[in-house]
Amino acid sequence: MADANAPSKYDAGFAREVYGLENGSYVKQCMQCGVCAVSCATFQCMDHSPRRLFALVRAGRKDEVMRSNTPWMCTTCLMCKARCPRGIPIVDVMHDLKGLALKEGRVTYPQAAMYQAFWKDMSGRGKMFTAGIMKNYTLKRGLGNLGKMMGLKDFGLKMFSHGRVPLMPPKAPKGKKQLMQMVKKAQELERKGAK
Amino acid sequence: MAKKIAAYICTGCGIGEALDTAALVNVVTKEAKVPLCKESPFLCGRQGAATIKEDIAAGELEAVVIGACSPRVNYEVFDFGPNTIVERVNLREQVVWTHPADDEDTQALAEDYLRMGIARVRQSELPVPYQAENMVKSLLVVGGGLAGLTAANEAAQAGYQVVLVEKEPGLGGFAARMYKGAPSRPPYTDLEDTTVASLVAAVEANELIEIHTGTTVGRIEGGPCLYDVTLLSGGQETSRRVGAVVLATGARPYDAGRLGHLGYGRYANVVTGNDVEDMAQKGGIQRPADGKAVQNAVFILCAGSRDPEHLPYCSSTCCVDSLKQALYVKEANPEANVYMIFKDVRTPGRYEEFYKKVQSEGVVFIKGEVTEITEDGSKNLTVEFSDQLLGQAASVEEVDLVVLATGMVPSTVDWAPEDAAEAPGSVPSVQQPLLNLAYRQGPELPALKYGFPDSHFICFPYETRRTGIYAAGCVRAPMDPVAAVEDGTGAALKAIQCVELTSRGAAVHPRTGDLSYPEFAMQRCTQCKRCTEECPFGAINEDEKANPLPNPTRCRRCGTCMGACPERIISFKNYSVPMIGNMIKAIEVPEEDEEKPRIVVFACENDAYPALDMAGLNRLGYNAWVRIIPVRCLGSMNLVWVADSMSKGIDGILLLGCKHGDDYQCHFIKGSELAETRLSKVSETLDRLQLESERVRMVQVSIMDYDKIPGILDDFAAKLADIGPNPYKGF
Repeated sequence: MADANAPSKYDAGFAREVYGLENGSYVKQCMQCGVCAVSCATFQCMDHSPRRLFALVRAGRKDEVMRSNTPWMCTTCLMCKARCPRGIPIVDVMHDLKGLALKEGRVTYPQAAMYQAFWKDMSGRGKMFTAGIMKNYTLKRGLGNLGKMMGLKDFGLKMFSHGRVPLMPPKAPKGKKQLMQMVKKAQELERKGAK
Repeated sequence: MAKKIAAYICTGCGIGEALDTAALVNVVTKEAKVPLCKESPFLCGRQGAATIKEDIAAGELEAVVIGACSPRVNYEVFDFGPNTIVERVNLREQVVWTHPADDEDTQALAEDYLRMGIARVRQSELPVPYQAENMVKSLLVVGGGLAGLTAANEAAQAGYQVVLVEKEPGLGGFAARMYKGAPSRPPYTDLEDTTVASLVAAVEANELIEIHTGTTVGRIEGGPCLYDVTLLSGGQETSRRVGAVVLATGARPYDAGRLGHLGYGRYANVVTGNDVEDMAQKGGIQRPADGKAVQNAVFILCAGSRDPEHLPYCSSTCCVDSLKQALYVKEANPEANVYMIFKDVRTPGRYEEFYKKVQSEGVVFIKGEVTEITEDGSKNLTVEFSDQLLGQAASVEEVDLVVLATGMVPSTVDWAPEDAAEAPGSVPSVQQPLLNLAYRQGPELPALKYGFPDSHFICFPYETRRTGIYAAGCVRAPMDPVAAVEDGTGAALKAIQCVELTSRGAAVHPRTGDLSYPEFAMQRCTQCKRCTEECPFGAINEDEKANPLPNPTRCRRCGTCMGACPERIISFKNYSVPMIGNMIKAIEVPEEDEEKPRIVVFACENDAYPALDMAGLNRLGYNAWVRIIPVRCLGSMNLVWVADSMSKGIDGILLLGCKHGDDYQCHFIKGSELAETRLSKVSETLDRLQLESERVRMVQVSIMDYDKIPGILDDFAAKLADIGPNPYKGF
């Protein structure tokens, strides 16, 4: 915004975009009671509480919503969804917002990198391979992050000594092709489910 | 005066165990000279009541005294027909349940109550119901809107004739201006067609309803069953006689001209919710400036409401009306962006489902306060506001339509003409001529708050301070159409109750069925007018000789006039100043050296007496010095009883009554307050007579304060012990 003191304009366009997501239309029904915010396990780490995030969506503040760390802090503990008096599946909305943020390509949070690393490895392999995920993650985060990664070495060695870090990728699962078909169908339904 | 009396003492419910009932019989027969006094172990049982009936028939008795439970229970058992006076002496709740058994003071208490009851009944006469020439049972309904139409329709369907008066040329009132109605049926999400058109048709088709449109009420004289009404229409006068009146003249919208700061009157595209209804009815929502479609709309809720500079109160329906109107905007243009700026969203009951529905249509609700509205060259508006959900200033631009959700003002009041529209608004206060009652206390209904007619909203919402006149719909309180229909029905029911009871000479609420009424010994009247001015219901007019002119059908039998009269010329057949005076004189007051004080407690029958009974029901004990005298209302408290008590040697007088003040509970509106005022005037006299004014005290109680009763009574006794005994004892 050019002038920090100018009142921020309500813009209906972004709200409509969010309503188009699979669970996005529920955002319309939020009555701003704030129960989600006070119930949230990681509320203190968020720059906007779930309540405020929804208000920002409806005000059309795309930039702030896309840059927000709120959905990335969600642990899917489901306290908010259980308590919301309007029955909004907040966890699912957060999931959709994460997807939108990734699509917009504006995310730099480590959680986003982890999600992408995980999915890239899993969707190719059909099974989890820790080393593969870590490789993707390290590459995604870049050399600048290498220092931080090295900080994890003690933890990594301990896991290795417990046999938790296989060096070889696992065998492909039976019916991997069908698994991939299921994934594709789920993605199709997600698109269809959006209102 | 009742001459032939018999007395009955019940020994059930613990009375027989706690008291020496043989000694009580002795007091009744030997001392009070009542020829027949019987004991019974179960007086309210079939055998007990039958015995009494036999004795009445055999001895041609005029009255019976029943020493048993409280008069508030078993009244249908101890009802021996209209020709027998029944005097109930409360030996249970107010003697044995609140005092120790086998105790000389408890015994003295029971004896005194019997003496007092007998003294009372000896002064009683059977009431003679008030009848007058040509009492009618028809209804006058003033106002042909939803509440008035409903009242007329319901009354006619119950078989009563109705005269319906409406000042506009057509029926339907405000409801007819609505394009659609808010949902009233599950799933509470869909707009409905309004019902007013079919109601108008039903009313017009009903033979029992006489409709006068383009008509106002010129004058109303008389009282329930005897109202002489003059109707005015185009210079012509018509007379009708009716039995009761329903006032359903509705409300008008708050004058939006006072909301210039929100753009009304300054910008063409700023309208009120009512303007939106008119627009929708005429064919569509559009920008008033140029008729173009509405793409962006902003609703401002609480416009001029809940605001110290405008209407301080909430008008109840504007939130739901705005939800409705938001859907009209969406109906005209489904792609429209609609915003609602609110202080609160008040969607009571099932309207929460409607709120949810409107949100799911994409209407955005913003909690905030509008700071400024500006207009550009093409008449588009910018609404700036402080957004309390985001904690910062925000705005909506390119707004095509700003809708102000304004409140309502009852038709009973309006602004003075010199009150400029630009000046900060206020609650209007100039009384409007709606009924033109020929009542000495004034032509219209007294108001309590914000111009709405005063009614005892806790107990009797439709009752106004004028008997026989019932307020319904938005003139009574801001309400939505569903509530207005219910209100109209309720008021019609009350009006029917009124004409039925009054035609039999009986009183209405709260002394429903009471056949007594105040009679005036006019030859001793000094024309001071205290009765006329203090009557909470304006029942008394003035005649050509300046004497009070009572209108018994307007009376609620509270006895406030009786309490006010310094010459004591007013009395009821079964309730009078000498009657209570004799009750006081019947109390046996011990000598000063016995150190057993006596306290007279005047307890009003509406809240105080039940509280005392409740204390008994809960077995809460209190001192045995008190002698409780039930009165109809503390307003009927005549100050001569203070003199009677003092000269008898009573040490203290306690008045227990309902709460008065802004949040009053007094069932006769002003009685309790008047008693307090009268007491303040008597304290100076008492001081001069060397009778400490602290000997007279008034405490406000409600029935739920029963747990405080022992404290109140014992506290007063302790205070009197401090002051010492009445110096006039034994004179």
